[in-house]
Amino acid sequence: MAEAPIVRVDALCKRYIIHGTWPWSPKKDVDAVINVSFDVMPGEVVALVGQSGSGKTTVARCVLGLETITSGRIQLMGERWDQLSEHERRKKRARYQYIPQDALSALDPQQTALEHVIESLTVLGGLAKDEAERVGRDMLANLGLGERLHALPREMSGGEQRRVTLARVFALQPALVVADEPTSGLDPDRQDAVLEDLIENLPEGAGCILVTHDMAQARQWCNRALVMLEGQVIEELRFPDGQPSHPYARMLFDPWGEHDLAQSTEV
Amino acid sequence: MSDFEPLLVLEDLCIRTPDRTLVDGVSFTAHRGRITAVVGHSGSGKSLSARAAMGVLDVDPGLVRGSLRYPGASGGRDWFEGVHNLGMKAQMTLLKQSRHLRGGYVTYSPQSASSALNPGRTIGKQLQMAIQRRDTQPADLGVAIKVVLDEVGLPSRAAYALPRELSGGMAQRAAVALAIAPNPQVLIADEPETGLDPVLRRVITELMVEVAREHNVALVLITHNMDTVERIADDIVRVGE
Repeated sequence: MAEAPIVRVDALCKRYIIHGTWPWSPKKDVDAVINVSFDVMPGEVVALVGQSGSGKTTVARCVLGLETITSGRIQLMGERWDQLSEHERRKKRARYQYIPQDALSALDPQQTALEHVIESLTVLGGLAKDEAERVGRDMLANLGLGERLHALPREMSGGEQRRVTLARVFALQPALVVADEPTSGLDPDRQDAVLEDLIENLPEGAGCILVTHDMAQARQWCNRALVMLEGQVIEELRFPDGQPSHPYARMLFDPWGEHDLAQSTEV
Repeated sequence: MSDFEPLLVLEDLCIRTPDRTLVDGVSFTAHRGRITAVVGHSGSGKSLSARAAMGVLDVDPGLVRGSLRYPGASGGRDWFEGVHNLGMKAQMTLLKQSRHLRGGYVTYSPQSASSALNPGRTIGKQLQMAIQRRDTQPADLGVAIKVVLDEVGLPSRAAYALPRELSGGMAQRAAVALAIAPNPQVLIADEPETGLDPVLRRVITELMVEVAREHNVALVLITHNMDTVERIADDIVRVGE
């Protein structure tokens, strides 16, 4: 029997209503995601790449139920996630975790690295505090933060802050990790180190959706990439060998090459 | 005005907090018509150096060593003179004294367009205020706004838009427009490509280089994207190595 996907997204659409400047200004509908479908299999890392504002983050947030969807279906481990109430989802959230773009604003300025991980494990993972502390120390040491257990976010470098967000996610042994540009704003060496930590520490059989602007990262660390443009998936590439064929995807993978910008941005 | 004349000279900058050195011995000179890339890893003090180059020092005790000169505006005056090791009070005095130069002689384009643009004012109003910082006022403000918008590839109607009504790419263009509107001599751009997709990154980088060359300004580009640096920079300054 074929393996069941961890994530199955079917014909996902998300429409935002933009309100005007004033209460009486006309409202505008914006289709942020249009008919997007894809699966993530166990152990697979799938990159969402594409234009700024093309809907990558919206797709990632819809998958986790952080945005309500306009139409379509989202199944996580065979269960209709989009039909669950927030109360029902909360009990299961430990299995499906999110790593945000801005690590500093995701961390509590008054909590140390260890306290962040302990809080995740006790609140979401249901562990007793002693056990949570033991697991937390191990997880932080695994990520090279063994000497920084009691550091506050403002005392950490950007890379260390990101490692804390990874530690508190991986301590829960999730089945799915959605990482939204986890290396944004770091210099290239540290980006590689953070991505290596992210991919190598994924629990066995877990799936991962990586939203990124860096095509080299996608090619190096992911099994597949979905290229998005104006809310739609325009191409799917399998790595390491897949080569883009859509004009925009070609431009994305080789931005300094010679391209016709007008033609490239047609969906 | 000669090509390649020095417009900003920062020498041996050293900034400290009570327990560590944040910037140690950074020096660079920005020349008219040249692009100076300041590169270094995260936390190496690139942005701090860029802010110091505008006379903005906001850590305590802060400036320990260094000198800052704007040969195109204040001749040989060292703006850091009398500020070393004197803490926040002296640094606030420097901030006040050099205020007239920021937003005029030297402009700053921050990392994200959203922090460059005032969310409550239309792009046109913000450009108007920036243009009014020019030494010579244009005969017709409306025309001057249109010219600046045109230079960065924005339609005239963008003048009536609030920042949140612009797409990411348009907001980045508007941020570039704001930085060049006062006709600065030095433009400091702090990682203008952060968070942009590779295609938009190229478009904004090329736009910045184009307007810098067109206006014959000294462009100081803070970045850690070596791909960009190798393609556009005339001078490269490495920080934290």
